[in-house]
Amino acid sequence: MPRQSTRTKKPATKAVEPEKVEKVVEEKPQKEQKKRGRKPKQPVAEATPVEDKMEVEEEEEIQIKADEQQPEQQEEAGSDSEEGSDEEEGDDIDLNALDESDSDSEFERDLNEKQSAAGIQANKYTKQKAEESSDDEDDEDEIDIDELDVEGEEGEEVKAISKARQTINNKQGLLTALKRFALDTSDKVPFAFHQSIVAKKATEESIPSIDDDLARELAFMNQALEAARIGRALLRKEGVPFTRPTDYFAETLRSDETMEKVKAKLIEEATAKKASAEARKQRDLKKFGKQVQVAKQQERAKQKRDTLEKINLLKKKRKDGGGPTGANEAEDLFDVAVDNELKGAAGSKKRGRDGKESGGPNAKRQRKDAKFGFGGKKKYLKSNDALSSGDVSGFSARKMKSGGGAGGPGKPKKFKPAPRPGKARRKASAGKR
Amino acid sequence: MAAVYKSLSKSAKKVEDHEENENNNAPNGGFRKNKQRVLILSSRGVTYRHRHLLNDLAAMLPHGRKDVKFDSKSKLYQLNELAELYNCNNVMFFEARKGKDLYMWFSKVPNGPTVKFHAQNLHTMEELHFTGNCLKGSRPLLSFDGTFESEPHYRVIKEVFLQMFGVPQGARKSKPFIDHVMSFSIADGKIWVRNYEIREVEKVKGEKDSEGNDIPAADDKSSKKRKGAPNAELKDTDVSLVEIGPRFVLTPIVIQEGAFGGPIIYENKRFISPNQVRSELRKAKATRHNARTEQVKERLGKLETITAQAKKEKDLLDTKELFA
Repeated sequence: MPRQSTRTKKPATKAVEPEKVEKVVEEKPQKEQKKRGRKPKQPVAEATPVEDKMEVEEEEEIQIKADEQQPEQQEEAGSDSEEGSDEEEGDDIDLNALDESDSDSEFERDLNEKQSAAGIQANKYTKQKAEESSDDEDDEDEIDIDELDVEGEEGEEVKAISKARQTINNKQGLLTALKRFALDTSDKVPFAFHQSIVAKKATEESIPSIDDDLARELAFMNQALEAARIGRALLRKEGVPFTRPTDYFAETLRSDETMEKVKAKLIEEATAKKASAEARKQRDLKKFGKQVQVAKQQERAKQKRDTLEKINLLKKKRKDGGGPTGANEAEDLFDVAVDNELKGAAGSKKRGRDGKESGGPNAKRQRKDAKFGFGGKKKYLKSNDALSSGDVSGFSARKMKSGGGAGGPGKPKKFKPAPRPGKARRKASAGKR
Repeated sequence: MAAVYKSLSKSAKKVEDHEENENNNAPNGGFRKNKQRVLILSSRGVTYRHRHLLNDLAAMLPHGRKDVKFDSKSKLYQLNELAELYNCNNVMFFEARKGKDLYMWFSKVPNGPTVKFHAQNLHTMEELHFTGNCLKGSRPLLSFDGTFESEPHYRVIKEVFLQMFGVPQGARKSKPFIDHVMSFSIADGKIWVRNYEIREVEKVKGEKDSEGNDIPAADDKSSKKRKGAPNAELKDTDVSLVEIGPRFVLTPIVIQEGAFGGPIIYENKRFISPNQVRSELRKAKATRHNARTEQVKERLGKLETITAQAKKEKDLLDTKELFA
């Protein structure tokens, strides 16, 4: 499963890009819809440009997402210009003429109500509401203003209208259309008939951010998983075969070829991962290679020393025992070997304490070896590498500012040598000499 | 014409309770047979990606019939006749525009409705290297987001999906086992479509709580059995999902009452045409240039006025002026 999740990530990232783009220009459609939406409202809008402006402002408040500055500004500019044009129209043209230019139903209503309702804004709203409701009746309620038919109360009118954008959402029509072609998915029919499961929760609630690919895909998968569980239970209950038996072979959705490719890709990925890990390990080893080498050499030297000691001991014992009895020689020899065996380690340690030669060469030599190196490659030893050139710990801006960069950064300036005199002075002094 | 007739007759007959009517829809108390055939075709000018997606979908729908590219983008009503010719009652039409934008029309053919989507983020099965696989033509489980029940237009869309993507029982080329889920989720005002393989795995003994909690109480005895005796023989498996692909995201644009025609009964106010998106991007880029050119213009203008002024002032002391 973790593999799966990491794999899903890549395509999903790609997937988000268009959405981001969209969000940047989220504002635009509303502007467009405003344009579109204004047309039917014209009589009111043109009679009172003030109200129109208010509406625009409100609409901007309602916007679903707070967006970047730039598009907003653009939009404001755009809407302003629209208002301007509207105002002009309103000034130029008589209200009557305007109404005539409108659709029939509105025309009828307006002739009745126009004179009385022209002044007050609140009246305007009610009037428009009335118009729209009449529209509904006349046009067979094909086109409703969004949300108006839902929020029918008088108190909410102002709010509703300020919100209203003239997009079509004919709920009644949708429901009748649905009724006309819907399949029966109620409990009466067996589940196997439709095999559809509607989740109880909205998936969007469990998505913290739409741009978060992993979380989003996880939410989708959870929805599907839940459905799969429920569906499996229901189908089993109905006795519908669910699990494919292992000996059932049939054509699959994705060909074997594709699956082979996928497999190859997986393997490739795994090997690449392994190789990179190996390489890293090797690099680390290389870093400590020197130390390891030194340690190994020391160990070898120690081993050699130990054997030499053993031999010496053997010789000594032999010399001691060799005088009195020649017959015992073999036994002695055997004894020594046993001795060696028994206290080999302890003896060597003891000797190491008093013997000078325990730690290889003397301490001074060792330190020098450590400092200057002993054996091994000397080439490129002092050349810079990425780490050393990146190390600017020795740099101090203050020292640089105080001048005398040539003196080296670390060197404290106790005294300044007298600066070189100027050319004229030098010449003069040369003349004196 | 049928759509017009329906819309006329609708006003006379008020619909109060939708649920009731829906239930009455099934004749004689029984449910009507689910007979679906989907005509799958694209317009000219689809890109390879669109084409591959179409092929993927066609492979998933054993009740589908793939047809050659349709020549026209304006006379979509001709698709009705085409569908009739092929005995299809669903049309899935891929309309490509400008060689990059894909619009998908899902239509119930004889008398609607038609839903138009804008498809984005298309990823075909091939390019998504997922490990999932399933039988070709097995009936999918369709998993819908809870949001699909919230709004009428979503309900319509859900029903369309149900009939198009749901393989009808006993379809000719369908296979008897169920091994994949198609999920439709709504997020950000868009419909996200995913396809997963159902894999049955040995259940880990410790995690039996996670199983069966979400299953509604009314449904099954098998889950109860599992709960009661976790070591029951065959049923002691859990499901896990592995994605198969393809992936795509649909933004509903418009729902028409008829099949490729008729009055518009829904229009998405949040939809922004990709053309507009692109033009905005271009404009945003252009503003930078415009600002710069304006600056240059301003500077030149200033320079001009300054030189003109200087000329004027100089003129008073000019030799020509003095000794005129």
